[in-house]
Amino acid sequence: MTHIAPLPKDAIADPELRALIAEAETLGVPDDLFPRILARAPEQAVPLMRALIMSHAQGNVDHRLKETMRILLARFANDKYFASLRSNKARGMGLTEARIDDGCFAYEDDAKGFSAAEKCALRYADLMFLDANQIDKAFYDEMKRYWSEARIMELGAFIAFHYGMQMFMRSLGGKAAV
Amino acid sequence: MSVDPDAVDAAFFDELRKHYSDDEIVELGAFIGFNLGYHTFFGTLKFYPLFAPDGRLVGQAESEKLYGAAPASLGKAEAVE
Repeated sequence: MTHIAPLPKDAIADPELRALIAEAETLGVPDDLFPRILARAPEQAVPLMRALIMSHAQGNVDHRLKETMRILLARFANDKYFASLRSNKARGMGLTEARIDDGCFAYEDDAKGFSAAEKCALRYADLMFLDANQIDKAFYDEMKRYWSEARIMELGAFIAFHYGMQMFMRSLGGKAAV
Repeated sequence: MSVDPDAVDAAFFDELRKHYSDDEIVELGAFIGFNLGYHTFFGTLKFYPLFAPDGRLVGQAESEKLYGAAPASLGKAEAVE
């Protein structure tokens, strides 16, 4: 039970929010718990849910990489809810649990086969809330060797937003049904 | 939520409920989470406020000198003097 009770689904009247909840359930991230809590603040719920789904499942960076980064962040945030959810889209693209674990705990190991671009992106997520001071000009120069500035902004905004929502959900004591 | 998330427990929510409705707590929590994430990201980008404390429009170099390396909200008041 979360510290703040979610609204029942049938108490959510806003068709846009209902559509976003359905879209999220199809994706698998988040399930209906997080948006039903957010629905208590309906003016915030719609743009937050739209940004959550868009930043994760759309954009120009490989969704499998972003899914791995999302789980890495959720584990770091110690947020059991988001850490236990999985993207059905990424799974359909071939992302396995073993690959997720490698991406979270062993991405620097050359034997794991992550590209230099993937390593740099995973390091970006790893360092952002561990030691942001290490994300300096030299780090961004390294990122720019592999990623356009547009994609670096896509990754940075994705990391910031998802980690923030994970910390919020951690505070609520949320756990996924799966 | 940022410096000691384990302290945001059931007792803390009980305290919050003395002052805020559940709907308002959700609004506050989402706002805090959003800012927690984005201000860390923004900090890595090294951009500074467009305005000096006296209201003047300033460039990034002068703003960096005024505000320093740490966000003013997390530093001492002298940091923006």
